[in-house]
Amino acid sequence: MAGDDLAFALEIYRARDKRVKELKARGKKIIGYFCCYPPVELMTALDLVPYRIIGDIREPISRADGYIETNICSFVRNCFELSFKGRYDFLDGVIIPHSCDAIEKLYDIWRYYQKSTPTYFLNVPHIIHQGSYSFFHAELLRLGQSLEGLAGKKLQTEDLASAIRLHNENRALLRSLYRLRVPDPPLMSGSEAIKVSLAATALPVPECNEMLRDIISEVNDREEPLPSGIRVLLYGGQIDDAAFVDIIEDCGANVVLDDLCTTARWFWREVELDGDPIHNLCRHYLDNIMCPRTLRQGKNHASELENRFGYLNSYAAEFKATCAIAYTMRLCDTFEFDVPNLDDYLTKQGLPFFNLELEYNLSSMEQLRTRIEAFLESVAAKTVRS
Amino acid sequence: MGEDKTSMSEERPKQKTTAIKSTQTANEAYKVVKAQYARAREAVEQGAPVAWVMVSTCCEEMLKAMGVVPVYTENFGAVCAAKKAAEPFLHSAEAHGFSRHLCSYARNGIGYVVQQKELGMIPPEAPAGGMAYPSVLIGGSHVCDPRYKWYQALGRYMDVPYYSVEILEPPIDADFEAVKQYYIDYMVTELRGLQSFLESHLGKKLNQDVLMECVHTAEQTRTKWWECYELRKVIPCPMPTQDAFSCLVPHDLDPADRESLAFYERLYDELKYRVDNKIGVIPDEKYRLLWGGGIPPWHSMGIFNYFESLGAVVVMDITYYPGSPCPEVADYADPLERIVRWMFHRFTEWHTRAARGCGHPIAQRLLEWIDDYHIDGIIMHGSTSCRASTLGQIFFKNVIQEHSKVPVLFIESDIVDERDYSEADMKRKIDDFMEVVASNKEKLIGQGGCS
Repeated sequence: MAGDDLAFALEIYRARDKRVKELKARGKKIIGYFCCYPPVELMTALDLVPYRIIGDIREPISRADGYIETNICSFVRNCFELSFKGRYDFLDGVIIPHSCDAIEKLYDIWRYYQKSTPTYFLNVPHIIHQGSYSFFHAELLRLGQSLEGLAGKKLQTEDLASAIRLHNENRALLRSLYRLRVPDPPLMSGSEAIKVSLAATALPVPECNEMLRDIISEVNDREEPLPSGIRVLLYGGQIDDAAFVDIIEDCGANVVLDDLCTTARWFWREVELDGDPIHNLCRHYLDNIMCPRTLRQGKNHASELENRFGYLNSYAAEFKATCAIAYTMRLCDTFEFDVPNLDDYLTKQGLPFFNLELEYNLSSMEQLRTRIEAFLESVAAKTVRS
Repeated sequence: MGEDKTSMSEERPKQKTTAIKSTQTANEAYKVVKAQYARAREAVEQGAPVAWVMVSTCCEEMLKAMGVVPVYTENFGAVCAAKKAAEPFLHSAEAHGFSRHLCSYARNGIGYVVQQKELGMIPPEAPAGGMAYPSVLIGGSHVCDPRYKWYQALGRYMDVPYYSVEILEPPIDADFEAVKQYYIDYMVTELRGLQSFLESHLGKKLNQDVLMECVHTAEQTRTKWWECYELRKVIPCPMPTQDAFSCLVPHDLDPADRESLAFYERLYDELKYRVDNKIGVIPDEKYRLLWGGGIPPWHSMGIFNYFESLGAVVVMDITYYPGSPCPEVADYADPLERIVRWMFHRFTEWHTRAARGCGHPIAQRLLEWIDDYHIDGIIMHGSTSCRASTLGQIFFKNVIQEHSKVPVLFIESDIVDERDYSEADMKRKIDDFMEVVASNKEKLIGQGGCS
């Protein structure tokens, strides 16, 4: 497969259920999960194949409207639509975390209508205090026990430790892949990187690691450089299709880093290896996932802004981003509340910032293109002046 | 021409959009609200602490015991909506980059702070005299995400320390024996964290004996309010939902105050008198309705009277239902644990029954109330900007209708923001629904299924 791994990843991106369905046919159990919070390490340790549930921006919502209100984010409605249309029928179980109001309440509805597939709920503290870790520890043990029933085996500490190492390696490889965009021009496009990230959450971790090693080597060997453009740091929530990035890159920019729920947000930091594995998972998922749904209070407003957004500044410096574009999904409350503060913070750092409040299905693509072009032109003009 | 129009509009009497209440005690509720805002302003003048608080953060007793005057910013949203004062605040928040899709309680509150900062004083148009500047902010994760994101966002405008209390409910299918203790432990830990925060920022200690006294009063207040709800099972109903939505204020805002308990004792006596003398809300209560979901449209509460004009009374409501008394609290001497156990009981009261019944605790509760309160129809209010109270309504309707033929009406507007509201549309929907309710009831009577 050497040399063809990027093509393989792109194929998985287009048909994310392809490989897991093959594995299922061979007797493997596939477990779907939403968001960044269900620990994939627990699933892998129990020999379950983790499969990140995403939507399909091209799938119109029709049946879900009979079950979920239309003022709820269209990502959640879209996923429910797909489940009704049988797209997730291959799953042996589904984990729904309490990541936000919409996903939390989706659990009740999903569980009621998908009775043939076991559905598991994971409560995740929103506000990080000392007691949050003990609580989440108990929740992870409860989830682990439930998954043992599905897997038909006991969770062993050494298996969990081994799964953590494998997933850490996976995260490290994805970071290495992402750092191929540090050079100017980048060695790979933002569109390719996002596609690989999305493929990575639809493969068993050992296979994924092998694929990533080969892709990194393949991209490093590229002879034709990409065109150089304005370097964009992309920030947002559930982008699970490369279409939005394609629009930005079609406008002549390079998306050099994407901090999204489906990409860098889940793999940029690693789980501690020393000590109790469940404790380490607690620390990782509560401390390292930089999602606006998690509140970590600072001593004052300035320190809190640094806690919340300082990492974006580091990303911008490392990846030499010259501007930031935020994709805020309409009706996603936790992201929408952050927009004015994020704007303040990045503007103060000298990074031009542009927020786009959009529907999940990216309607009005051409209007979107025009707005992005206008923003990029303003960034280019500022760059020339300075 | 233009001048004529202005003149006509000035002469036109202002249309009443608040609800006409049925009980005397409900008419006292707004005085309680105004007095609470006034107490907070006086506290600021006297250098006493004021907390801005989210409802249902389990801190009412603690604040009372520490002499902190609470101001409930969600309640202020409702007051602004009812008094038609919200729109300028909504505009201010939106002008500062807060999406129009965000919770309108939050936009109203943020816009208020924006104006307060710009003016250097309470905005003069603020109803109930406005919210006094806080010493601390207490948010929480219970019910919805905006309840902690809102106060976090306020850091942009006010340098006020804040604490958010995490309150998580177990999933509906949890093994309660297995999870109850660690859920309770977590909530108690969160309240101890709040206690440390308050003690540190206010420079005073929480007296446990005073706290216990507050806990006892709050338990009595909650019990009395629940007893009032129980009386609503009677035909004719002694108190409609619009009255309940006014009377909830002392319970939700200051349950540990002896005056709040006295308020519900008065209300209970009034309702008991009405029950004993068969005094209903309207002379001929033909249909009994259940408010089955959603925060009401505070800007247009008169809509409840429209139902009454069609012979229907909204006799029960789920949104602010206080929950039955928690039987196990008497076994606990730690006041914080008592608070938490009461709350946990309130969250999970219907879970076990749902597991044996229809499968979902909210749908289960509505199904039981259809029988207990002799319900002919259910109303659900989908609020444009309040996702937490809206998501699930269609699902509950679907589940209920697997077990019952009671018709369900969906109405849509917003809790505060009335810029897209059409009363005419609302009334048309209600007219259509009431025809279905009437026809359904006739059929049931024909089948001998309804008295």
